[in-house]
Amino acid sequence: MSTDYNAMSDADFRAMVRAFVEAEYPADLPRYALHRLHWSEVKPWYLRLSARGWICPTWPRAYGGMELTAGKHLIYIDEMERHGCARVNDIGPVMLGPLLIKHGTEAQRARFLPRILSGEDIWAQGYSEPGAGSDLAAVRCEAVRDGDDWVITGQKTWTTLGMDANWIFILARTDKTVKKQAGISFLLVPMDAPGVTIRPILNLERDAEFCEVFFDAVRVPADHIVGAVNDGWTIAKALLGHERVFIGAPRLSASALARLRLQARAGGIWHDPAFRDRYVTLACEVEDLADLFETYVDALRDGRPIGADVAMLKICQSELYQRISDLGLEIAAETAGLGEPPDGDIRLHAAATWLSARPTTIFGGSTEVLRNMLAKAVLDLPS
Amino acid sequence: MDGAMQEDWVENARMIVDSARAIVPADGSLDRVRRLRAKGAGFERDVMAQAGALGLFLMRVGEEAGGLGLGLRETCELARVLGGGLVPEPILSTILAGRLLQGALPETVAAGEAVMLTAWQDAPRSLDWQGGLGGGRLSGRKVAIPGAEGADLFAVTTAAGVAVVPADAPGLTVTAEPTLDGGRLGTVAFDGVEAELLPCPDIGAAIGEAGLVHCAYLLGLSERALAITLDYLRVREQFGRPIGSFQALQHRATEMKIEVELARAAIFATARRLDTGTGGDAARRGIARCRLRASSSTMRVVREAIQMHGAMGITDEADIGLFVCKAMVETGFFGGAALQRRILSDLLDQGDAA
Repeated sequence: MSTDYNAMSDADFRAMVRAFVEAEYPADLPRYALHRLHWSEVKPWYLRLSARGWICPTWPRAYGGMELTAGKHLIYIDEMERHGCARVNDIGPVMLGPLLIKHGTEAQRARFLPRILSGEDIWAQGYSEPGAGSDLAAVRCEAVRDGDDWVITGQKTWTTLGMDANWIFILARTDKTVKKQAGISFLLVPMDAPGVTIRPILNLERDAEFCEVFFDAVRVPADHIVGAVNDGWTIAKALLGHERVFIGAPRLSASALARLRLQARAGGIWHDPAFRDRYVTLACEVEDLADLFETYVDALRDGRPIGADVAMLKICQSELYQRISDLGLEIAAETAGLGEPPDGDIRLHAAATWLSARPTTIFGGSTEVLRNMLAKAVLDLPS
Repeated sequence: MDGAMQEDWVENARMIVDSARAIVPADGSLDRVRRLRAKGAGFERDVMAQAGALGLFLMRVGEEAGGLGLGLRETCELARVLGGGLVPEPILSTILAGRLLQGALPETVAAGEAVMLTAWQDAPRSLDWQGGLGGGRLSGRKVAIPGAEGADLFAVTTAAGVAVVPADAPGLTVTAEPTLDGGRLGTVAFDGVEAELLPCPDIGAAIGEAGLVHCAYLLGLSERALAITLDYLRVREQFGRPIGSFQALQHRATEMKIEVELARAAIFATARRLDTGTGGDAARRGIARCRLRASSSTMRVVREAIQMHGAMGITDEADIGLFVCKAMVETGFFGGAALQRRILSDLLDQGDAA
């Protein structure tokens, strides 16, 4: 049996993670990168985490995870962020693994979990479609049963790092006659199956962070469904335990603020009262968010339930990140639109921060969808 | 902090809040608040006596000095309840006097028989409290004292300590101007008033703490204003539907909620830090941040509350207006938002030097 990390003191655990990260984070990998790195770049780091048994911090130890409590998980994340570690292709560890552990069959767990742990399988998430973004339950990509196979036809889009993945899990329509949420199933599809086509989408920085995935009569065996037929929506919605809290962590805003400060110094306006007035207001907002975040982390630590109101965190964090990036772009003035970082220092590149802040209010529940939900579930306003 | 201490403060706060319910009607009635407007000093001595009887004025007096020795979190919980009821009595001012005077807080004041208010502020838009001395006597003035005309005694801060002076001392003059909430904002002027100065080592810190506690009053005010507005959104119908079903209003209502939650989190986290040893610049920074958040979130809530109430929001008849007026009067206390930004800006450089 692996180590019981939760038996360690927080301080010891933190020291251990820090020592590992400082020793093992590959020297040639960027730190504090604003864009996602591709598998070809980040693979060595994934494999080192994997070799140490640390690639799946939340999974039960029985399945090869670290089984960290929320408090320990937060320290783990903290130390990764502190060092500026690049995010790995973590859809398998973060999303599919916990989902299989909860809803998969023993055969599925035995087959897929070890390959996630080892980095043999890199997963992508196939949820959104051209016609199903915020209204995700409107997915049309269809899976039809044919003998022992499911035959999948349709399209997924905004698949983050989909070009790096050898597997994708999708929400597919398996019953068109019922309420839209009730006719969706959760399927596992190898990316190299005949009929799968991938097309990268360039973002505003002309990076290919996400892609479209087309399915043209793609066949997968019947045992590639997770959970019951037509139960996919329920399964997918139940995802994201700690993540619902951590997605609202103040770290993106805090690091953007730190970059803003560097940028203001470099630009010679750090002492400009007009700038400072706005800077201190934003700095306070980051600390306020940190205090609010902490109330949810306390609840996680104490094992109290997290309510629908946790969505406030994500709204706050993403909008604040954007406001900070707005000020950075504004003080960059004539240099705001330069394509390369000033002096080669990515931290001074206001445009990169600004662009990286844009998706945060769109993905993971758009701000507007979250507000709709809060209005009803938390404020009890009528439909 | 360990679990036992955590439970201690929660339990203490619960008792304080329960006792404050004697002052704030359980049914949320604002009749008394409404009735007191533009009458006398703007508050009822009976309620001050009630607060005294409940021990509220001893909250920030140390146990060794015969007080309750409670922390800022408990005091903030009390202030929050008072704010939710728009309680006009200057209870927080007397709690500050207790914090400053400790064992020297007169028993009559502690018991609520005599009203003592703190006169600390030298000028508007400033947190200076050191003035008020000249030739060994009190001279000059102290400003922004709600209910000053109803005081029997003042605790006056000076660079040399805190003076306790009766309101009818020769050379002391109280003037006041009416405020939008129906209260009166007073100035106390001193013309060579004789006074004994009691040493107090941390007047500035005590005033900072009072500023934080007052944030919690604003928090209570905004929470209640939000609740009233949400009620209105649920029942007011236009176009054949409750207006709370309209997405434009729903989204703005969630923003009000977020503002309130940020204020609550910031205030209680800061109170916890101060209760557990944070002081100096870190405390000043935290308090200034809370002042900024509490004032901006309160004004945001009441602005939206007016708009969502439609024309009812600008009538004297609707209760929401009481919250709007109180917010206008009190969000600028303790120097106002612009001063907080300046303090925070100055502290940036201190941080640089460190």
